[in-house]
Amino acid sequence: MLSSQGQAESGMRFGEESTVRPTLSQADAEKLGTKALIERGRQLFVAKFTVGDGAGRPGATGAIVPTRAANSDLPPFFRTAGADSNACRGCHNDPVPGGAGDFVSNAFVSEGFSDADFDTVDPQFSNERGTPALNGAGLVELLAREMTHELRAQRRRAAADARATGKSVAVDLTSKGISFGRLVIEADGYMDVSGLDGVDQDLLIRPFSQKGVFTSIRQFTINALNAHHGMQAVERFGERYTGTSDFDADGVANELDAGDLTALVAFQATLPAPAQVRPESADNAALADEGRKLFDRVGCAACHVPALPLESATFTEPSPFNPAGNLRAADVIEPVRFQLDVSGLARDKHGRVLVPVYSDLKRHVIADGERPHFANELLSQRFVNRDEFLTARLWGAGSTAPYGHRGDLTTLREAIVNHGGGGGASRRAFEALGETEQRKIVGFLQTLRIVE
Amino acid sequence: MKRVLGTLILIGTATAPASGTADAPRYVAEAAGIEHVYDGGWEYFVGGGVATLDCDSDGRADVYLAGGTNAAALYRNVTKAGGAIRFEKMEASPLAMNNVTGAYPLDVDGDGILDLAVLRVGENQLFKGLGNCRFEAANTAWGFQGGNDWTTAFTVRWDKGRKWPTMFFGNYVDRDAPGAPFGTCAANQLWQPRAEGGYTQPFKLEPSYCTLSALFTDWNRNGTPDLRVSNDRQYYRGGQEQLWRVAEAGPPKLYGRRDGWRKLRIWGMGIASADVTGDGYPDYLLTSMGDNKLRVLTNRSEKPQFGDEAGRRNMTAHRPYAGGDILPSTGWHPEFKDVNNDGNIDLFITKGNVEAMKDFAARDPNSLLLGTGDGSFVEAGKAAGIVTYAKARGASLADFNLDGLPDLLVVNRRVPVEVWRNAGLGDAKRTVPMGNWLQLKLKQPGGNMNAIGAWVEVRVGTRTLTQEVTVGGGHASGHHGWLHFGVGTAERARVRIHWPDGEWGPWLRVYTNQFARVVRGSTLVQPWLPPG
Repeated sequence: MLSSQGQAESGMRFGEESTVRPTLSQADAEKLGTKALIERGRQLFVAKFTVGDGAGRPGATGAIVPTRAANSDLPPFFRTAGADSNACRGCHNDPVPGGAGDFVSNAFVSEGFSDADFDTVDPQFSNERGTPALNGAGLVELLAREMTHELRAQRRRAAADARATGKSVAVDLTSKGISFGRLVIEADGYMDVSGLDGVDQDLLIRPFSQKGVFTSIRQFTINALNAHHGMQAVERFGERYTGTSDFDADGVANELDAGDLTALVAFQATLPAPAQVRPESADNAALADEGRKLFDRVGCAACHVPALPLESATFTEPSPFNPAGNLRAADVIEPVRFQLDVSGLARDKHGRVLVPVYSDLKRHVIADGERPHFANELLSQRFVNRDEFLTARLWGAGSTAPYGHRGDLTTLREAIVNHGGGGGASRRAFEALGETEQRKIVGFLQTLRIVE
Repeated sequence: MKRVLGTLILIGTATAPASGTADAPRYVAEAAGIEHVYDGGWEYFVGGGVATLDCDSDGRADVYLAGGTNAAALYRNVTKAGGAIRFEKMEASPLAMNNVTGAYPLDVDGDGILDLAVLRVGENQLFKGLGNCRFEAANTAWGFQGGNDWTTAFTVRWDKGRKWPTMFFGNYVDRDAPGAPFGTCAANQLWQPRAEGGYTQPFKLEPSYCTLSALFTDWNRNGTPDLRVSNDRQYYRGGQEQLWRVAEAGPPKLYGRRDGWRKLRIWGMGIASADVTGDGYPDYLLTSMGDNKLRVLTNRSEKPQFGDEAGRRNMTAHRPYAGGDILPSTGWHPEFKDVNNDGNIDLFITKGNVEAMKDFAARDPNSLLLGTGDGSFVEAGKAAGIVTYAKARGASLADFNLDGLPDLLVVNRRVPVEVWRNAGLGDAKRTVPMGNWLQLKLKQPGGNMNAIGAWVEVRVGTRTLTQEVTVGGGHASGHHGWLHFGVGTAERARVRIHWPDGEWGPWLRVYTNQFARVVRGSTLVQPWLPPG
């Protein structure tokens, strides 16, 4: 077992410097019970992985697809190509474990294939990214799953109609009030995806990462464990897909088992959702309310949708939408199941939980010639263009400075005025306000906080 | 889950034993609604093919089964996506002919509907597809004379500027020649189309050495496929494996020793091609009696000089792995496909004694050789649950239920066809998927609408998976349909097409675990949704 500092405690030999072994199988994770599972996840999240655990990846790159390093002479820990961190909490720590991170904790992310071992921060090799907060991640993943179900049901119905009628069918895709463009399905089942908007061609809502390219907490976690720590999950880097139990050639086999990942997901998914902390002063509370209204009026809420309705807060792990290389729902007889805490959240007239995420979980172009700041990356990531990003979730905005995907904006105001592209009209409306009105919007956003 | 481990060490070789591992998919036997037997005497010791084609344009793989002295049969696939495999027999089809040895689907006349070349003991027959799995005989309309040979091989290519294909028909023993069967191989035929379509006279392609499989393939990727022919040493005299340079004008020329071609004499039964070595060039698995061969270019593309890597890679499959028989195997239909979607190409080989050859195994189960990450293969037939002792001939590894996992259909001599559903890591009741996958079709304007001769490149991570789009090879079994790629853990891939006329298409973005069509000139793929 671990202490909260990630050091060996009971059950380990005195002087032992491994922190997370033995690993946890999925079968054992299923038996643990929710509370113990979350605790195991917390321990893994805060643990400073050691070489005894398998930290470092001398034989592998940080790529999401298992990729062998090409004769890298890089040191075992390295701030650019990684491994660049000892613990998840090393970056996700502000204001609580699982939270956001300071600029100093920025990561350099690359697709990480043939040119993964970059030794420079030149943006032609990697994109520099700030550390996002994970609080409320479970609710976010559930929203995304429901949206995917809904979009795919619309696709399925349209395809059935097209086949039945022998004519092409166009369907305007919407979920939870968010439009994702138009899909045209021919009578033979082929689809024209050119009209899709803000979602991938497979209609899978990927709510994680600044670009919206990861499906689940689990997928993101497996990627990050390898990239940042050199800790490789068996389900991605194990024998099935690599033919070896020690793909990163660090001398430690099977570094993290499926149960470890399930525990890490449970911890992150149950991190309390951010909430509005109303100012104690009545005057300031009134100003925040006015700021909220102005937030709507200038058009911010069109993308930073204040709340999305959630049918069910029961979290099941693994996700039904995980691709191979991550434990999938079909891989287990019964998923691990637990309830997310939605006790403080409002409900709509249908009884659905209103998740105050301040995002539409959709990608938008947010830079243009007039305001190019957010197009400051040279590499597109996983099919997403350089000027396109997932709508940032603002529900913890008051606790998660610095801002922007690079974490290079120290204030909310800077973040707002750098909006271009699809956010250009709202930004112009914001700029047209007087300073007092602008401060109301900023002040309102500052009330959206990760509660310590 | 059953993980299989490579253990075979070839006695007398200096190469390392296969050491890789791979997960075996579990195949579940299904009745599937097919009751069909390939039967007959000596002329039907060989043949027994199956053509896999989507004859009703619903995206599902239908099958046409050779019957030998029984009537051939066309079965329409009515399987629900992800469900148990189910076929329905198409009654009263003109395809229900006797004396059929095999068949190959292709779009001969460029009308966008698949046609069928039916190989027979006797007159070969071209059938024009009319849609909805209806066909009509087209020999007369297309100027094709089916002859009266014992035909066992077929392949085509489209010459530049031609709307119709150049067709090769490979013949076996001339059973009417004096002294038959030894040393009496019938001449093979090459049918080149007229400019306006249709055919007139065949070109006799000699010497011919009792051919059992043929494949037009661009072995050196110079843009012009040549003709690889696999021949049965049981009956030829002075023969060998062949590679013909088929010029678009002038007579074909056989590659010889001066060109770098090395003599290889085997009981050539079938050809399968795939880029096993990952160098971008096709490698050729040739089935035989005893050891099978993997022919690999030894000097890149300068000369057709092939060496053999079957032993080094544990692909010889030269002895039964179950049933207790220690005599050599007899291999027939080879087919490459990534059956467990781990990103490593796998190989299926049908096996079975010719009839009663005492020097060869009588109990000879089909082989499923799984590719491992280190380039070697491991036998997984037992782990996959496909061990039977029928005398297998033709086969098809198609995704009959459109769940991303290649299923299996095997045609046997004298006993019924076997259909196996790939349940992945699951069982009869529950399919558990394996790695990620991608299935593609191509479309281009002109006569060669299905882009036969194109190369498909799928880029995942640092690897490029390559497939040549061909018609031919196998053992009397032709397949046209989805091009399947297993991509392991990749959630996305980039796809590019080297079109048959040499033009490279752009890299296109595609998400895995889906079907998609690449239309020439388009910058987006067209995903496809299975019915049901």
